[in-house]
Amino acid sequence: MKMGLIGDAYTLLVRELLIFKKNLGVNIIRSLIFPLIFIILLGSFGSTPKNVPVAVVNYDNGPNALNFINTLESGGSVVVVSSTTQTAALNLLSLGKVAGVIVIPTGFSSGAASTIYVYLDNSQPQSAEVVSSQVALVASEVGASTSVSGLSQTDPPGLIKVISNYVYGASSNYLSFVVGGLLVMVASFGAVFSSGFTLLSDREMGNLKAFLTTPINQFAVLLSKIGYGTFQSFLSAFIGLIIGLLYGATVDAGVLGFFELIWIIFLVGLGFSALAIALATRMKQLQTYALVSQTLVMPLAFLGGAFVPVTLLPSFLIPLTVVNPLTYAVNAVRDVMIKGFLPVSTLISTSVILVAFAGACMALAFALFRNTSMQLS
Amino acid sequence: MGDIIKIDKLVKKFGDLVAVNGIDLTIKEGEIFGLLGPNGAGKSTTLNMLLGLLPPTSGKVIVNGIDMHKNPHAAREDIGIVTQETVVEAELTAEQNLMIFGRLYHIPPQELQKDIDFALELAALTNFRNAYAGTFSGGMKRRLEVSKALMHSPKLLLLDEPTTGLDVQNRTQIWNLLREINKKQNVTILMTTQYLEEADQLCNRIGIIDHGKLIALGTPSELRQKIGMSNIIEVSADKDNLQKVAAAFKSIGLDPAILSNKVTAAGGSSATKKIEMLIKEISAKKITIQNISMHEPTIDDVFLKLTGSEVRDESGAFTGGRGSMMMRGGR
Repeated sequence: MKMGLIGDAYTLLVRELLIFKKNLGVNIIRSLIFPLIFIILLGSFGSTPKNVPVAVVNYDNGPNALNFINTLESGGSVVVVSSTTQTAALNLLSLGKVAGVIVIPTGFSSGAASTIYVYLDNSQPQSAEVVSSQVALVASEVGASTSVSGLSQTDPPGLIKVISNYVYGASSNYLSFVVGGLLVMVASFGAVFSSGFTLLSDREMGNLKAFLTTPINQFAVLLSKIGYGTFQSFLSAFIGLIIGLLYGATVDAGVLGFFELIWIIFLVGLGFSALAIALATRMKQLQTYALVSQTLVMPLAFLGGAFVPVTLLPSFLIPLTVVNPLTYAVNAVRDVMIKGFLPVSTLISTSVILVAFAGACMALAFALFRNTSMQLS
Repeated sequence: MGDIIKIDKLVKKFGDLVAVNGIDLTIKEGEIFGLLGPNGAGKSTTLNMLLGLLPPTSGKVIVNGIDMHKNPHAAREDIGIVTQETVVEAELTAEQNLMIFGRLYHIPPQELQKDIDFALELAALTNFRNAYAGTFSGGMKRRLEVSKALMHSPKLLLLDEPTTGLDVQNRTQIWNLLREINKKQNVTILMTTQYLEEADQLCNRIGIIDHGKLIALGTPSELRQKIGMSNIIEVSADKDNLQKVAAAFKSIGLDPAILSNKVTAAGGSSATKKIEMLIKEISAKKITIQNISMHEPTIDDVFLKLTGSEVRDESGAFTGGRGSMMMRGGR
């Protein structure tokens, strides 16, 4: 009786799932741990910090200046540490005692000077961002402008003048930003860690040879592995999404957005499972595979903007982001989660890119797998 | 009875290395055929070509009338395989192991349960159907594997060293299982082995393979006559004394072969008497030796007789089993 490629692949997938079921507890924990740790860690240090210390040098001492300082502390995002001179304040900054220095010049209250000078330590970007946005907010309320121009020559090393802008709109939720990137990363990592490893261990145990000696089409083995990788990756990313939502991330595009998310992480899992299998066809050692796959996937996740927006990357890396399928996945996920809408054209183009990536990797895997002698030992 | 396997001028080269060098072999339906040879002789390469896993450099393999390398999927429908590594899936139950392979062998769904039950019975594992195979003993795993290979009622069963690593009791159990299916279901069996005794007890015919060539072929008794299967007398000694030991062998009428650190000879029909004479001779001549012993002929002795050389040891140039060979093949 002929069952064909799909039927054989289905049988082998059933086998993978039976093994998965046998180790259900371990598998669930494995799927849980990665997103849990990342969301809580990244999401926490990424969330808006409170009580960021900031040194204020008040050369003016007029009522407007005092008003400015009081308003600055309202909301609790920053705590003001008074400092008598700019030099002393900058010293505090260089020691890391404060996240920023605000200099209110003489004549601020009288209206002779309307510019407040801000120094930030960008080695702690989150704190710097809090200070700069709080200063900008208060300054606009009191009708002052913040500026840092003209002082660069005297800047101590390591201090950068920053007036930061949110990459997405003012409603940006950093946790949603992190969770969005993380979902794509978990999907790609989940795929690489499951499918390729099972192919390698099957080869090592002799199972692969046993499969290849049955009347099945040899590509059924690959298809089943890709299917299993997609399943594992999807499970991890789905758990990641649930954890992210429980932890406070939002999907601004609503229920439809939720399904769009699921579709995109599914395609990422499919593509990276195929990539993982293509890598695993010619590797014998688990260590080699682990090294190569991580060296490949980790940079892809970063270059795709999973943690840092692609627009902030240096220009020489931009071409890499263009050819990286994860860039499109991350953008689509962020559109859904943060912008609140995903244009149909973007959904289609993202889907086409991810499907094409999966197809290319699958073709590569099939081509590399052809030499069966490699698969025997 | 027809021919179930026809191997025709089979050659396999891995680069400069000739692993299989022109093997012709025909196996008839209903036979139990043993393929003997030391590590690296070309057994596994031959078997892999028989299974269509390796393309031959030249020559043909016809299984049940189907060219294995032109139509491997169809040819494999009639073959059951037990590989050298025991590949039962530790994380699946006995029944799940059988179910997956039954489906891969395309057993119709309505017959699958019946075939699973049959295989469990054959393996004497009916009571363990829901136990995970990882908990089984070596013998149980091997029985499960053999019965798994028989589930789809193949005409031909290929076994690659089926009893390597098993104790005597389990080995006998596997032998009985093989005899039973050969007799009752007329399954032709082709097995490789390193054990002469196993081939002798189980096989109707034996082929001995070395350096990729079939160097002997016949029934066990034919081969025994050919190589004089009497007990082997063996004396190990320092290099300097080997010639003297050989002279002692000759003086009592034996035909010695001198190896790197020992001298051996077939003891003939009165081997026990010969060893006594040899001990007397050696002590009379005051030759220093390390050890003297007598044993039943092993594959080494057969090889020594047939090829004039010792079975190459594991670290030899063309050994290490399929792992190293396959690496070469993959390039």
